[in-house]
Amino acid sequence: MTQPGSSDDISRLNGSGRAPISLGERLVANGCITSQELELALRRQRSQSDAAPNMHRVGRTLVDMGLLSQASLLDCLYRQFAAERDAYQVSSRQQDAVIRLEQVVKILDGRRVLDAVDLAIPANRITAIIGMSGGGKSVILKHMVGLMKPDQGTVWVGDQPLGRLSNRALNEVRRRFSLLFQGGALFDSMSVFDNVAFPLREKTNLPETEIRDRVVRSLEQVNLVGMEGKYPDELSGGMMKRAALARALVTDPEILLLDEPTAGLDPIIENAIHHLICDTFMRTRYTMVVISHAVPEIFKWCHHVIALHRGKVLFSGPSREVNGSRDPVIRQFIHGDLDGPIQVI
Amino acid sequence: MFDFVRNIGASTLETIREMGRMFLFLFSVLRSIPTPPYRWNSFLKQMRFIGIRSLFVIALTAVFAGMVLALQGYYTLSRFGSEALLGPAVALSIIRELGPVLTGLMVTGRAGSALAAELGIMRIREQIDALEVMGIPPMKFLVTPRVEAGLLAVPILTLLFDVIGIWGGYLVAVRLLGMSGGTYFGGIESAVEMHDITTGLIKSVSFGLIVTWVCTYKGYFTQRGAEGVSHATTSAVVMSSVLILVCDYFITSIML
Repeated sequence: MTQPGSSDDISRLNGSGRAPISLGERLVANGCITSQELELALRRQRSQSDAAPNMHRVGRTLVDMGLLSQASLLDCLYRQFAAERDAYQVSSRQQDAVIRLEQVVKILDGRRVLDAVDLAIPANRITAIIGMSGGGKSVILKHMVGLMKPDQGTVWVGDQPLGRLSNRALNEVRRRFSLLFQGGALFDSMSVFDNVAFPLREKTNLPETEIRDRVVRSLEQVNLVGMEGKYPDELSGGMMKRAALARALVTDPEILLLDEPTAGLDPIIENAIHHLICDTFMRTRYTMVVISHAVPEIFKWCHHVIALHRGKVLFSGPSREVNGSRDPVIRQFIHGDLDGPIQVI
Repeated sequence: MFDFVRNIGASTLETIREMGRMFLFLFSVLRSIPTPPYRWNSFLKQMRFIGIRSLFVIALTAVFAGMVLALQGYYTLSRFGSEALLGPAVALSIIRELGPVLTGLMVTGRAGSALAAELGIMRIREQIDALEVMGIPPMKFLVTPRVEAGLLAVPILTLLFDVIGIWGGYLVAVRLLGMSGGTYFGGIESAVEMHDITTGLIKSVSFGLIVTWVCTYKGYFTQRGAEGVSHATTSAVVMSSVLILVCDYFITSIML
């Protein structure tokens, strides 16, 4: 069985047909480390753990040994991701989509927020949903986890139609998901540690020691070690998002939905969050759906883009193609022009 | 004219719909009470919040309610030479009526408003949605322990109110007005029956349900940001208070 995040796994998923290039090989090729240093890191990792080395563990070991900075590691992971992103092709096979919306209509306060939307979210990819504020992006996300029900149409998760499921079956489907809310939705009365441990304590029978290990691991992944005892109102915006991301990751979901993970953050934290999402994807291979206003920056960080306007899908395809779109609405949105079909002033 | 009639019709329909939603909410809460998992920690936490932290305000209200009842009662009864009936008058008024009603109203003001505000903030900060996405039923997790605590805490607080209120009456009647302690307590012993205490307890259980039901409902379905929380809190307190008084009348008329 392939380790999640191993180079075999990556070559299988990127479908490029090229020989796999591991993170270590890429680091050597880029001159970040020498081959002797890589060999040293691999040996050290083997001596510390029985588990087969994978790219993420090797990267961490290199950082721990002081041979590589965290920023260089993230940059290298990004390059690996970018190569995969550029090779991505849209599949027409229905089974490659993990979530599908078929002719979904939603009317809120008399306004048609979703107007016969058809879309498919490819499995094991990062999909970005972009569009104007109030264009129905968050409503789509809420339909995907059954927080909202369509007035018409069907939402499919795998082969299950959400609208026809019992509460129990819906909860089973929801086990596959984690959702990072725009405001984090951390519980105010709980510390960061308890917030991250909460889904494990409530939904699993894991012993407290195992829960503690998993929470610490999850906080390490988002660089929040030492913040366990803080309460949400003591955290900055970036820390809050990272704590919420740690809570979303701790249950090891198949599908991770992120509602504007970088909204209201400065460019450095925004970049850090994008790297974190990329790092998480390379390590876990979760299906990710990101709602973002960070256009065109977000196109660097996803395989697939869906553009929404006035409740309809204007574009759905590989991220490298969206910049070349001739649709005047998409062009105006990407360039942020005041002049165009979207009149805001 | 046509608009006026249409508006009345629309608001009547909306009121009926709202009542329907409230009863469905109550039904699902009551159905979830015997269903596992039992959240003892949450229940105890809410008992502490609704019960123990209301003790001071209940004791203060009770002692002054008893004292003023004794003063007014003495003044009225002395006109007819019936001062000996002061003890039963104070005790029966408190046990049958003032104890449950004032406890219900005090708990509404102190704990009910906080319940509505807490759940309202959780709603607008998407914490309730987060629970649903995690597959944790928010009703069972948030509402049920609060309603259970209300059902148990309010009757206990009412019993304490009764005892402290009667003691407040004793302070005025015996210590201030010079009435005999034996007459005060002897009258109470012979006049108060188990039926009176049962009536008071039935009322207090009903009021505990009303406060927690209305306040959690209003908080749970809060909409539109901070203004929505403020609206939910106000309407929760007003509706609970009115319902307590309406329900008090009907229970009294049935149990007399």
